[in-house]
Amino acid sequence: MPCAMSGRRLRDVLFALYVALCALSLTWPGYAWLGSGVEPFVLGLPFGFAWNVGWSVATFAALVLYEAARRRMGD
Amino acid sequence: MPAASAVLAIVLAYLALSLVVGLWPGRRASATAEGYVAGDRSLGLLLMYFITGATIFSAFAFLGGPGWAYSRGAAAFYILGYGVLGFIPFYFVGPRAARLGRRYGFLTQAEMVAARFDSRAMALAMAAVSVVALVPYLALQIKGAGYVLDTVTRGAIPEAAGGAIVYGVVLVYVLRSGVLGVGWTNALQGMLMMGLAWGLGLYLPHRLYGGVGEMFRRIAETRPELLQPPGLAAGGEVWGWGEYSTAVLVSAVGFSFWPHLFMKVFTARDDATLRRTVVLYPTFQIFLVPLFLIGFCGVLFDPPPERPDQVLPHMLMHMDLPAVLVGLFCAGALAASMSTGDAMVHAAAAIAIRDGWARGLGAAVDPASERRLIRWAVVAVMAASYLVAVLYQGSLVLLLLSAYGAIVQFAPAVLAALYWKRAHGRAVLAGMIAGSAATLLLTARPELRPWPLHPGAYGLALNVGVLLLGRAKAAEPRREVSEFLRVAAGRLG
Repeated sequence: MPCAMSGRRLRDVLFALYVALCALSLTWPGYAWLGSGVEPFVLGLPFGFAWNVGWSVATFAALVLYEAARRRMGD
Repeated sequence: MPAASAVLAIVLAYLALSLVVGLWPGRRASATAEGYVAGDRSLGLLLMYFITGATIFSAFAFLGGPGWAYSRGAAAFYILGYGVLGFIPFYFVGPRAARLGRRYGFLTQAEMVAARFDSRAMALAMAAVSVVALVPYLALQIKGAGYVLDTVTRGAIPEAAGGAIVYGVVLVYVLRSGVLGVGWTNALQGMLMMGLAWGLGLYLPHRLYGGVGEMFRRIAETRPELLQPPGLAAGGEVWGWGEYSTAVLVSAVGFSFWPHLFMKVFTARDDATLRRTVVLYPTFQIFLVPLFLIGFCGVLFDPPPERPDQVLPHMLMHMDLPAVLVGLFCAGALAASMSTGDAMVHAAAAIAIRDGWARGLGAAVDPASERRLIRWAVVAVMAASYLVAVLYQGSLVLLLLSAYGAIVQFAPAVLAALYWKRAHGRAVLAGMIAGSAATLLLTARPELRPWPLHPGAYGLALNVGVLLLGRAKAAEPRREVSEFLRVAAGRLG
């Protein structure tokens, strides 16, 4: 089933890209350039702290979506 | 200061409850090594969620986490960073290993890797490193438990006695119930840890500063360097991005491969349970946020604590708080210590017997007596760890860091075992030894590093380099290897 196979590949590639983006955003250079400020405060937290919390929440969402996609495709 | 007797009453009630919960499932598993070590591979999502989460977060989370935020500020966020990334490999590796476990009867990580490469030396090396890593780690948990009891009872229960009381309870339920006792107590302890962390983490900033935002605004005015990533190094100078980033990456790589955590893949009921455990894990690890808030509360607290990792108990003992709250904190910290310590002693004993004694040294172990031998090993590991905790005068943290450097080097070996047909057993073992040696050397002599990166990064690079070099020499894989990998991939039942 070529269509299902390409869907699986796309799903896996998107997830791998997300993990790579997440790793870059939690280390140098992503964190240093984009996330390392003290202000603005987000929900009372300094920006550099909220940045890490945000990636935790985003990773939870990414894992939920990935798992749902796997189940929908019968993996 | 709260009444020590009231605090002690709450702590004793918590320990009694842990004992009951830990002993209760004792008869539910079969009287075999598989029943004792892996709960007959029957654990569902609830137990897997708590057994992994509570195993990962130890006494370090309750004492060290706030201590890092207090003394090193934004550097503590690296713990959050590697936690986000570190459990993702488990999603893919876990089900592969679990399928192999069901097919070949594996109960430990080393057993699986050694079987893949048909190598007794691998089993012996991984068993030795695992036990050597787990004993100081367990000793730290025992010291942490003793320290908490000593502090909140103001010396009425000294550290050595406190550690003995708490880990006496752990010993009883681990001996009796094995991994099911670990799992059910971890469920209780995990709920207690999360509830208390969130409760204290939101209450203390409100009580001391009027809220989280106001607390950070005041820190930004008086100690702005603490809020600026990558935070401060241990000596108080600004931490480098190279060290911060490689600390995140190396810790993330090693995260899933701690032996006491990895072997939980063999306890899960099915692959879906394992994957959902990983999916839900961020909801557990987010409890680091209130623990960091507690640490930041200490920055402007007067009087300051003597040591950073004392910041939480120090604040609680110097605030006019009800004894119930202090007692609950104490129970939460003990829960964090016990929920990691029980998994460690259980894992170290199983590894020592199955990987070290039976496979590594080739001793004949009768299946009927294996469970009994593992139980004796539980007693031996607990006794050794207690003696290290009470008698060892050197730096346990340095011992632990050294051991951790070696554990991280398991990752390429496990990945090669599960995914790479042409991986060569001797190259995998040589890579692991070379990587561990390089990490140990650079941990002890950081001035030898060419760039200021985490020592484990050099070790991992060397490990992978040696492993890849071995590829060229690899012969055509044996038929059993192809079958092994097909089972791992789920293409062979």
